[in-house]
Amino acid sequence: MSQNADHVLDHFDLFRGPEYQEMLANKRNLFENRRDPAEVERIREWAKTEEYKEKNFAREALTINPAKACQPLGAVFVAVGFEGTVPFVHGSQGCVAYYRSHFSRHFKEPTSCVSSSMTEDAAVFGGLNNMIDGLANTYNMYKPKMIAVSTTCMAEVIGDDLNAFIKTSKEKGSVPAEFDVPFAHTPAFVGSHITGYDNAMKGILQHFWDGKAGAAEKVERKPNNSINFLGGFDGYTVGNLREIKRIFNEMGIEYTILGDNSDVWDTPTDGEFRMYDGGTTLEAAANAVHARATISMQQYCTEKTLSFIADHGQEVVAFNHPVSVKATDRLLMEISRITGKEIPESLARERGRLVDAIADSSAHVHGKKFAIYGDPDLCYGLAEFLLELGAEPTTVLATNGGKDWAARMQALFDSSPYGKNCKVYPGKDLWHMRSLLFTDPVDFLIGNTYGKYLDRDTGTPLIRIGFPIFDRHHKHRYPVWGYQGGLNVLVTILDKIFDTMDLATNMPSKTDYSFDIIR
Amino acid sequence: MASLSATIQDVFNEPGCARNTHKSANEKKKGCTKQLQPGGAAGGCAFDGAKIALQPFTDVAHLVHGPIACEGNSWDNRGAASSGPAIWRTSFTTDLNETDVVFGGEKRLFKACKEIVEKYDPAAIFVYQTCVPAMIGDDINAVCKAASEKFGKPVIPVNAPGFVGPKNLGNKLAGEALLDHVIGTMEPEYTTPYDVNIIGEFNLSGELWQVKPLFDELGLRILSCISGDGRYQEAASAHRARAAMMVCSKAMINVARKMEDRYGIPYFEGSFYGVQDTSDSLRELARLLIERGAPAELRDRVEKVIAREEARAWAAISAYRPRFKGKKVLLITGGVKSWSVVAALQEAGLELVGTSVKKSTREDKERIKELMGQDAHMIKDMTPREMYKMLKEAKADIMLSGGRSQFIALKATMPWLDINQERHHAYMGYVGMVKLVQEIDKTLFNPVWQEVRRPAPWARAGDTWQDKALAQFEAEAAELAADPVKAEEARRARPVCLCKGVSLGSVEDAILDFGLTTVDGVKEKTDASGGCGACAIRIEEILEAGAFVGQPTQARNIAAE
Repeated sequence: MSQNADHVLDHFDLFRGPEYQEMLANKRNLFENRRDPAEVERIREWAKTEEYKEKNFAREALTINPAKACQPLGAVFVAVGFEGTVPFVHGSQGCVAYYRSHFSRHFKEPTSCVSSSMTEDAAVFGGLNNMIDGLANTYNMYKPKMIAVSTTCMAEVIGDDLNAFIKTSKEKGSVPAEFDVPFAHTPAFVGSHITGYDNAMKGILQHFWDGKAGAAEKVERKPNNSINFLGGFDGYTVGNLREIKRIFNEMGIEYTILGDNSDVWDTPTDGEFRMYDGGTTLEAAANAVHARATISMQQYCTEKTLSFIADHGQEVVAFNHPVSVKATDRLLMEISRITGKEIPESLARERGRLVDAIADSSAHVHGKKFAIYGDPDLCYGLAEFLLELGAEPTTVLATNGGKDWAARMQALFDSSPYGKNCKVYPGKDLWHMRSLLFTDPVDFLIGNTYGKYLDRDTGTPLIRIGFPIFDRHHKHRYPVWGYQGGLNVLVTILDKIFDTMDLATNMPSKTDYSFDIIR
Repeated sequence: MASLSATIQDVFNEPGCARNTHKSANEKKKGCTKQLQPGGAAGGCAFDGAKIALQPFTDVAHLVHGPIACEGNSWDNRGAASSGPAIWRTSFTTDLNETDVVFGGEKRLFKACKEIVEKYDPAAIFVYQTCVPAMIGDDINAVCKAASEKFGKPVIPVNAPGFVGPKNLGNKLAGEALLDHVIGTMEPEYTTPYDVNIIGEFNLSGELWQVKPLFDELGLRILSCISGDGRYQEAASAHRARAAMMVCSKAMINVARKMEDRYGIPYFEGSFYGVQDTSDSLRELARLLIERGAPAELRDRVEKVIAREEARAWAAISAYRPRFKGKKVLLITGGVKSWSVVAALQEAGLELVGTSVKKSTREDKERIKELMGQDAHMIKDMTPREMYKMLKEAKADIMLSGGRSQFIALKATMPWLDINQERHHAYMGYVGMVKLVQEIDKTLFNPVWQEVRRPAPWARAGDTWQDKALAQFEAEAAELAADPVKAEEARRARPVCLCKGVSLGSVEDAILDFGLTTVDGVKEKTDASGGCGACAIRIEEILEAGAFVGQPTQARNIAAE
């Protein structure tokens, strides 16, 4: 036996041992009714062809390897960004377990979130009782300041009315009448996690601004000098929000970050468990109605929210996940215009440093081809940055991107000579991407952890930028916004370019004539 | 065996160098390389020069005898390429410590040689002397001799401790080590009438390999390349070559010249940078080989290959003409200064608006005028401010230069392409020129430059350093234009001799006051050209320009250029 108590092997080594190899081979040969390996190989090669791609793109019903998640995930993302708030998902508990593990695997932090644990009876008779009991239990067990309700498909299919349910629950004493329970309907069969973000954020603002579902007076807006900031669904929220706060402080701006989850997903290890940490205070959320304007970093995450805010009399400005120098320039100029604050010398220097770094390294990025997938705004921001670097974002794909987004991407391509051969793929999945990587090969792929299969199958090195990143740690701590963020993205891209160069040149006496220490 | 100082004097007396033969006995003693100025930002030392000249021998263990400083900061720092052995990249040093300094490092060196032989068994060991063991009196020649005998393996002393002088001197001392201990110590397995040596070529980025297929096609055998992708045995049997090409004259002229003296191997100075130069070099090699008995039909074969390759290269290069229309180049270069680079750039449709003449000879300058016209800007030293001014006035779209100028160019927001040794592309031979033009194309059209030049959108006009520099420039120019006295002062204040800090005015005064007519005369009175001697050419020009009094300022400015 290769495995014994004196020397326990982990899975990397154990199953490579002869007895396991033999066992697996026997299983394959004797019980699996194995296909002819030559035929498997033939199909594998065929799947790389243009012919296969056509069939792949003719797919109508089946989604394979989607690059999106569901609405309630976005709703939970929003809810944890408010002070003392428990996300409460009305629906089945399995879904909620997914959200918690999804975030915990990405942020390496616990993510508190409860469900109303609907069962078969609830599916038949409606989930009111689950809501009544669930709110009461949550209130008593976790002592929250707010419970933000969203829904899974189950509740949506049977048509549970959250507004009425919450009202009834309050009447039944689940939570005090004045306790804040904002809500949003977030069915997974509509949109994706970015839609969920939008709905949940709008739901919370609506709750505070429009009279708490009839429990209070509607707030009258008295414009002040403050601005509101919406990050959108963002895997880099910890680093990004801190960076944005730093920039605002440098500029001397009064601001409210709506949904500040940067602390709850980065709590210190000091002996105290923090179920809640930081977050936008409920008072600030309510007062955000008075702000002069609201800035959204991700247009496609905040469409409904922004229109809601605009209806309340504020100016709203949306960006598409700015990363490039130009995009960050625009962001700062807009902030400066809205607030009347000058852009300080410290930020001008940061800009100069990013430009300097780009100039130092651009020769390595210039002319390279990239495939990008992810959320629509992230794709846009990255493609814009690559074009600025003289690279070609040849393939840009967002499973949750729509026609409007595709048109915007195309306009971006059209604005640069490097966009000439670039194509946008709205509503496509990672199996489409796989075909594209074979038929329209690129030098590098940018995407989340799931891209590692594409990396392996197509040999296109994966640059991990996006959500979720499960198999690399702590990336979320580093901003991808602001000039500092642009620098981080540049370095992430360069690291992979140089690693790839080293890998291609590391064979002793074969390729290592180019295995250089100076790149 | 000659002492180190005798070897150095010998190296300084180089009859193969045209400039050197024109020098007085006194000047020769000082050597041909610029002596270091205390307080200046200096280049590498003799050790560094010796190490980089020999390091590309790939099957040799390069052992640096000294404290960690010498090897620790420098190992594997050059992009020479090897087609096989990797041991040249492994860093070996005796890493001398305090005890060694007190008691001497010779035993440690001997043991280090032993360990290398036991563990690696390389073709040879090159032992590099450094300052500390040289100062405490370690006799590496004796240790190497003993080690060679004991281990039956060539252990070659390379005696170029840093303090003896600059990098270039180290290159030559490395050559001396080869001449004294390596070349002629082995016999090749066989010889052919087509055996050639290539001297002073380091195969950076593998660029020799771009030319090698042509050699193979013509049946020319590179018996030894010193030292790019070199092997010990090849260098040791290099004395049987029929002809030699010297590629980097500054580094290894002593090797080529002494091999001609000792073994009768004729050499010429050639270059594979540029289409024309490559052709000329192939022709010259063929001529020398035929003179020494190779069949005359070689000439026809060479011409055929040249015609084919040139046609291909020019076709590929001229394809860039439409893209390069109206684009202007500023050429600031130390290493790649072959004029056929200029020819290639012009063929591709680029306009040369200026070139550096800091290291150029008078012939070089004439050549520049010939190629670029009388109006060519010859630039001695250029500040970022001046660079920016040229850029701003659309006088240049791109700068080609060595790595040293890189950061200045970038800060001055000038598109820039590296054509010296720290680059990552091979520009040698016919394909190399096409590659260079390709890279220029990539650089010119890199959108990064737009980004780099674009001021922050919130910057007010006149507020950027560029605007301020230009304003200052204009203010200064206006001030000088308005005040002839000041203009004359500024003109006279321009430096002629940087080493000794002598201005143009002092030189002119001396010429007028003492009626001087020779460089030596000027040197005697002003000390100008008493340092590195590089400004002697400038002084000649000043002398030629004649009397200064009463001449219009413009004519004087031409003289001042």
